[in-house]
Amino acid sequence: MLGVSIDTLRRWDSAGRLQSTRSGPRGHRYYSQSDIEQYLQDVDIIARHWVETSEAVEPKPDVYCQTRDVFQARLEQFQARLSRITPLTTVSLVTAIAGEIGNNSFDHNLGNWPDIPGIFFSYSIRSRKVVLADRGQGILATLKRVRPELTNADEALKVAFTETISGRFPEARGNGLKFVRSIIIGNPFSLYFQTGNAGLYLRQHDRDIVIQQVKTPVRGCFVTIGFEGLL
Amino acid sequence: MIISLKKFGTTLVSRPSGKEAWLAFQPVLSEISGDEEIIVDFDDVVLTPSWADEFLTPLYKQFNDRVKLHNIDNPSVAATLTILAKQ
Repeated sequence: MLGVSIDTLRRWDSAGRLQSTRSGPRGHRYYSQSDIEQYLQDVDIIARHWVETSEAVEPKPDVYCQTRDVFQARLEQFQARLSRITPLTTVSLVTAIAGEIGNNSFDHNLGNWPDIPGIFFSYSIRSRKVVLADRGQGILATLKRVRPELTNADEALKVAFTETISGRFPEARGNGLKFVRSIIIGNPFSLYFQTGNAGLYLRQHDRDIVIQQVKTPVRGCFVTIGFEGLL
Repeated sequence: MIISLKKFGTTLVSRPSGKEAWLAFQPVLSEISGDEEIIVDFDDVVLTPSWADEFLTPLYKQFNDRVKLHNIDNPSVAATLTILAKQ
């Protein structure tokens, strides 16, 4: 249901993150349905709080990928879990877009993380949701190096999703978010992408990129991928 | 020769791992004879443009139309190749 091991559940229990009620002679752990539902919804609330707050603290170890290697290992774990319930052909798309977005954070912030290096990566198979977040420089700061005329996060986010451009000039790159867009609009998935105070919501068949102003800005990027229509 | 990508891993998503795969494979590529075809087999892999840019792009630059692609029906492979073709 939660897609985590018994050891993780025990750790969460002792940390107070998802508490159980102990019962029976062997002290089996029981969880209330409402606590679990609440926890599943919290996956993105916790990530959002992490990128909104001015307080720079590392996320909990089970959702924190300080380096790319940790992210790669957890992404493969996610892929394996998803593969148990759906064919590899569809799993590959969700894994690919999560991999592209997560690695983008490392590509653009390596050696330049403002405070906490690495990304927040969590998912709920049951809620068909993946959450990725970073406290990096954000898309505007990254793209401004090659497009000095960009003045706000809205423009930068639009450029990132529509043009082949990279903040890592002179390297030839900059396809990542166009790739993500092409997969989202061609499949029963949804994407929310926020950088600074600019937010983009994208779903299947969307032709246009519509950027909205968001009241509470985030440091770096905050992304949720929904694959409700997959299972 | 056949390059079976799954020998590099099944989740081929990052630039550094694509670059590392390209560098590690150089000794093998240097042994290829003048007119030999290079078949890239995508069976069972998850692929992104980031990884492909570091491995497939230089492979094409070096061997041009001697590169042939097999098992490209996996959706992440098809989507990646479509994006790279637009470059």
